[in-house]
Amino acid sequence: MRLRSRVRLVTMTAAIALLSTACAGQGQGDSDTGGSSGPVTLKFWNGFTGPDRAAVEGIVSKYNASQNKVKIEMEIMPWDVFFEKLLPSLGSGTGPDISAMDTAQIPQYAARDVFQPLDDAYGPQGVDPNVLVRSAVDATVFKGKKYGIPMNFTTLKLYWNKDMFREAGLDPEKPPANWDEFGDYAKKLTKDTDGDGKPEQYGLTIADHATIAMWPILFWQNGGGVVSEDGRTATLDDPATIEAAKHWVDLVTKGKIAPVGLSGADADKLFQSKKAAMEIVGPWMTTGFKQAGIDFGIAMPPAGPKAQVTLGTSVAFTLSSRAAGQKKQAAQDFFSYWNSKESQKYWSVNSGFPPNRTDLTADDLKDNPYSALFGQDADKSRFYLAGVQEFQKVNETIFEPALQRVLNGKGDIEQVFAQADKDIQVVLDSAQ
Amino acid sequence: MTTTVRTAVKLPTRRTSAGSSGRRQARAAWLFMLPTLAVLGVFVVWPMLQALYLSFTDYQVFAPARWIGLENYQKLVSDPAFANALVNTLYYAAVTTPVSVALALGLALMLNRRMPLRGFIRTAVFVPVVISLAVVAIAWSFLLDPNIGLLSHWLSKIGIVSEQGWLRDPSLAMPAVMIVGVWKNVGFYMVMYLAGLQSIPTALYEAARVDGAGALMQFRRITWPLLANQTMLIVILAAIATLQAFDQIFVMTHGGPFFRTETLVMMTYRVGFKEFQFGYAAAVSWALVLLIFVLSMLQVAYFRKRAVTY
Repeated sequence: MRLRSRVRLVTMTAAIALLSTACAGQGQGDSDTGGSSGPVTLKFWNGFTGPDRAAVEGIVSKYNASQNKVKIEMEIMPWDVFFEKLLPSLGSGTGPDISAMDTAQIPQYAARDVFQPLDDAYGPQGVDPNVLVRSAVDATVFKGKKYGIPMNFTTLKLYWNKDMFREAGLDPEKPPANWDEFGDYAKKLTKDTDGDGKPEQYGLTIADHATIAMWPILFWQNGGGVVSEDGRTATLDDPATIEAAKHWVDLVTKGKIAPVGLSGADADKLFQSKKAAMEIVGPWMTTGFKQAGIDFGIAMPPAGPKAQVTLGTSVAFTLSSRAAGQKKQAAQDFFSYWNSKESQKYWSVNSGFPPNRTDLTADDLKDNPYSALFGQDADKSRFYLAGVQEFQKVNETIFEPALQRVLNGKGDIEQVFAQADKDIQVVLDSAQ
Repeated sequence: MTTTVRTAVKLPTRRTSAGSSGRRQARAAWLFMLPTLAVLGVFVVWPMLQALYLSFTDYQVFAPARWIGLENYQKLVSDPAFANALVNTLYYAAVTTPVSVALALGLALMLNRRMPLRGFIRTAVFVPVVISLAVVAIAWSFLLDPNIGLLSHWLSKIGIVSEQGWLRDPSLAMPAVMIVGVWKNVGFYMVMYLAGLQSIPTALYEAARVDGAGALMQFRRITWPLLANQTMLIVILAAIATLQAFDQIFVMTHGGPFFRTETLVMMTYRVGFKEFQFGYAAAVSWALVLLIFVLSMLQVAYFRKRAVTY
């Protein structure tokens, strides 16, 4: 008797843990226009927990101090927590007014009317699109409307460890310029000193899951990619993609130039702990690498057989579809402040990111040399899965597992990529 | 323990007491249970029913839920991701449940005897139970890291080199999360077995010794049969716990590499919170509810025959 009820209780308690997840409120609250007296308070969530956190906090507190009509209440949390909380909290009406996220993530929320179009916020009075980096503004577009205002923009660059280059007999001031040199250097920089088959030092560190796109850059350099530039066609089984994948998967699995199975954070850690000689990543790592005492160089990633191209990436502000009236105005005021000359100068100098604006001079940025470096070659950058509605499904559910499969030698590239290509096409078609 | 409860339940209907006093007692019993029932109703039953409703809809949080009947369940049956998660879940449960129970029994037998450092070892085995699984999973991730991990370092000394590290290796990731799962729970089951062992009258062993029974015979004829009640409870609890494996997998592998460690709960999480298909996620979790329910009933039916009282 007692046992049975106990089992039932345990079963039920067990079930609740799972089921409660699916029970976020379904209420459709009324528009939130903000209070009528006192300053308008805006909740702002983002995931800037890294070294760039101080720069974000700096601009927000400056904004709050600069006027008394709008107060930004910012909450910074790790990105994974941010994305877990965002939709349920917005659904139950307790979420943020403003949230910042990678532009690739915006369409899946915009498609569900979680955010509102911000075309009104652009213009001579608000955020002037003509002085902003064009690709960053374009990246916020979903179905013809702009759903975001750029918060930052950068390209990824190749970092290399100069000491390791010297040790391997390579010129420390000369990064690899093309694929042949890239692969060749990576092999020379890979060392298995104790002969156990597991290198102690890797030539390259590259992440295959939970990361900013690294592998797709290699596909683009050969004229391939995960999806076409317009985001409508899967291109994983294009000969160009397959060829690029084969070339680099071979170097990784047979040449052991890079470990398999790294997340983005693992990949960064490997370079930072001086166990890898090269990495393609953004300006957010400059601080960490400097603190680790690494003598590193930064350059455009090596040119591929078809193109010299790198990843462009941008975080944008979005506005909850419930924010209206005063709240909307207040948010637009904050967006303009963020993209003002003064704020952008502060941002670049303190974060190492290039400015969102194209009208800052070299003199404005002289206090942080990285800023200008990462701003270069913006015209040779491409956004990953731009305009694709279901970023999560295409990237994390289909592409990354397929890549991991071939890197682990479970299935050959043609077959695995052809299947993934089909699966991606289904997702792309169902969103049209 | 069974006897006392039985009496308590029978009380209200006892023939010797007058009908009215029986009803009064029944009312009192319900009143006593009310707070618990209310909490269970609000926080367990209601959400479960809500989820059941959602599993018949295409709910995505923002748009209102649309009734789609059995569509989610039909999708489930042909979804290779669900099949994969189901196999992983059963595999995880089929390995960790017996291993946990056997290990717990072994430890309990060992630590029931007088031995040096007994208190310390008992504590050491039990400590993981009281620590948050998420926290220890992070610690285990560090231990198993191929480049900075202490455990990987030690293993490499004895010739076991994992090039990618356990958690990134598709064939070792599942064993790694299983080990952590067993290590985490074994202490709890051990304590339950210890309590069982101490409730066995020593007179039985004395009598057995007089009759010339050796240690093995004593275990087979006295200890094991008299632990049947504990074994039933532990096996059922362990099976339920392992079918819901989530925490350490979430922290250590996030279901990867390429879904090799994705259990049903992980899948519910991914489909709901990452892909926003809450209706479908509810269907996956209800499939798990049914699975646990059926397995638990089978276990109860099996063990009932073996229940002992003394």
